[in-house]
Amino acid sequence: MHIPDGFLSPQTYLPAWGLAAVAWWLAVRGLRHRFDEETIPRLAVLTALAYGLGLVMLPLPGGTSGHALGVAPMALIFGIVPAFLAYSLVLLLQALLFGAGGITALGVNALTMGLAGATAAVVAKRLAGRRDAAGVCIGAWLSVVVPAVLLALVLGIQPLLGRRTDGTPLFFPFGLAVTLPAVLIPHLLIGIAEAALALAIWRHAKRRKWIE
Amino acid sequence: MTATRWLLAYALAVVAITFVHQPLALAGLLILAVAGAGKARRQLLKRALAAIVTFNLTVSLGYALVAGLRGEFAFGYLLLINLRVLLLVFLGFWFVHRVNLIHALSFAPGLASAATLAVGQIQSFRRVIGDFGLALVSRSPEPPSLSDRMRSASAQGRDLLDKSVAAAQESALAMRSRGCFDD
Repeated sequence: MHIPDGFLSPQTYLPAWGLAAVAWWLAVRGLRHRFDEETIPRLAVLTALAYGLGLVMLPLPGGTSGHALGVAPMALIFGIVPAFLAYSLVLLLQALLFGAGGITALGVNALTMGLAGATAAVVAKRLAGRRDAAGVCIGAWLSVVVPAVLLALVLGIQPLLGRRTDGTPLFFPFGLAVTLPAVLIPHLLIGIAEAALALAIWRHAKRRKWIE
Repeated sequence: MTATRWLLAYALAVVAITFVHQPLALAGLLILAVAGAGKARRQLLKRALAAIVTFNLTVSLGYALVAGLRGEFAFGYLLLINLRVLLLVFLGFWFVHRVNLIHALSFAPGLASAATLAVGQIQSFRRVIGDFGLALVSRSPEPPSLSDRMRSASAQGRDLLDKSVAAAQESALAMRSRGCFDD
């Protein structure tokens, strides 16, 4: 789902970087005002966990598979802020070390997958009240679908933001009519597999008493 | 020049490149970057091409098809987007090859520590996931069913969670014993 470098216009990624920078600052400030002996290792290992969950291949009907986002289990077990920070660090490392995603797109990717994905999961879980399994499944499904919709919107408006006078695009070439179905439809299925994965991890975390 | 200044220079270069919309200029910059990368240029170029090929090929073929059907096809756009993406990804790999990323993040010691620990853990988790994949294949004389693969995925997730919690406690103790948190 990551947007790579070069497809987003500066009118998109520069404000997104600004917004993400504010969100990162508030998140770090919220973690007891500084990194300390509890937060540094926890953030580091959550980052590795987010990366590791992203490597877990989720089976899709027909023998194919997609990879998990892993934001939902992290957000449901550890909270929105740690999940957002950890996922942002994953995106930075993926962009610089592995060429997946991009440094210009980091702000958009972090806000959509990290912040919106984590928030969608936690809000859905809270709205579900005592229906634990339903809340986790719907939250995990939304943690994939909401970022997919947002990323499709961001990609789909690029032809409007950057094009030559003759109409030739300068950045991502397809409008919303293409990006919304192309990004959303596969993620509706990936969301179902992510929900099953998140539920298994959630039940495991409860058995280990990491959560009430 | 310090690693942090290299990081700043890289970030500025990346932003500047997204304002360049002439394929010839981007091709010139790419040639300069490849030439400047020294002996590692071939390896970096191969890595950059491998990293972008799937996404760029999909977008390029999709554009050629859709724009061709509408009679709006512009070869210049394909050159522009592919050169820009290749240049940006090449610069990223060149930066990481030349500069120690952890040193570059030293302006924020907490971030640098978290990145150091995370990279080590990531390598360990990649090995675990690889082992799980091989184990599933070795246990399955026929291609595993959807439910088998789902069970395997959830086992991988649970194992990663267990390892994460244990690793966080170990790291905290190890860092404390080495005086990382002493003022």
